[in-house]
Amino acid sequence: MSGGHVHGGPECIALFAKLSEYLDGELELGACADVEGHLAECERCQEFLESLRRAVAHVASLSAPELPENLKRDILSAYARARGSS
Amino acid sequence: MEKVTTLDANLSVVEKDPDSGELLSRIREDAPGAFDEFVTRFGGRIYAFGMKFCGEREDAKDVLQDTLLQAYRSLRTLEHAEAMTSWLYRVAANACLMKRRKGKFEPEREISLEELLPGPGKDAPMQIPDPAALPHDDAVRAETKARVQKAIGDLPPAYRIVLVMRDMEQFSTQEVADALSLEISAVKMRLHRARLMLRKTLEESYAADRRADGRP
Repeated sequence: MSGGHVHGGPECIALFAKLSEYLDGELELGACADVEGHLAECERCQEFLESLRRAVAHVASLSAPELPENLKRDILSAYARARGSS
Repeated sequence: MEKVTTLDANLSVVEKDPDSGELLSRIREDAPGAFDEFVTRFGGRIYAFGMKFCGEREDAKDVLQDTLLQAYRSLRTLEHAEAMTSWLYRVAANACLMKRRKGKFEPEREISLEELLPGPGKDAPMQIPDPAALPHDDAVRAETKARVQKAIGDLPPAYRIVLVMRDMEQFSTQEVADALSLEISAVKMRLHRARLMLRKTLEESYAADRRADGRP
């Protein structure tokens, strides 16, 4: 922490509401500068942002299983039956 | 500090599908093999989407079947081929939400930011590991994956669907808003809360492990 800033005040709460938009690069330039100005003086908010970034990165890194071949066959068979009976 | 800009990249991933027009024409004509191609092209993506949201293979299978069959019938009336992929995800998102509606509590109110604010300042160590720095250990990675999947599964469905579409499927905010018939501000609000809840769950989970190991 620098400059005598005490974490938990209105500036921290205001920043808290904008962190996702900041991570996504969706903030206007002025708001972005405000966030970065606050982060420069609040170590706890820096840590919080980093933990949020890590959480999002964990989500983005998850892989999903491929479509099982037998499921694909079942769907095509079901469609063929439905088509044949219509 | 480097900013992450994803909007343009997301649009290119989702919307630019040069073969959609030709496939849509064949679907409209009920041409032989059109459904096979449709399943081949989109089946894996929708199944993965269902897995990410539902977390269970049987549910993902139901979502896929419901989505493909409903979509195939309805696509014949779709006017703009370039919108096919986004339109398909809209159907899939609805199938996901319907799937979970029976068994899961749907929040009656939006969760307030105050409920997700971190506690008063204290010198706690960073609990959530950096995914880029995880050891190349299959057991560690499998354990991490299971922990994250559980945290995603614990989110309220209305928040989870936004998180899955934005952070896993890499849709843009606008595309999620279109698919779920939400205002952009609502998508941003739900995404932020979903991320905050997920962060909190992961932090508490890792902190509990540290305490169990006798670490601070």
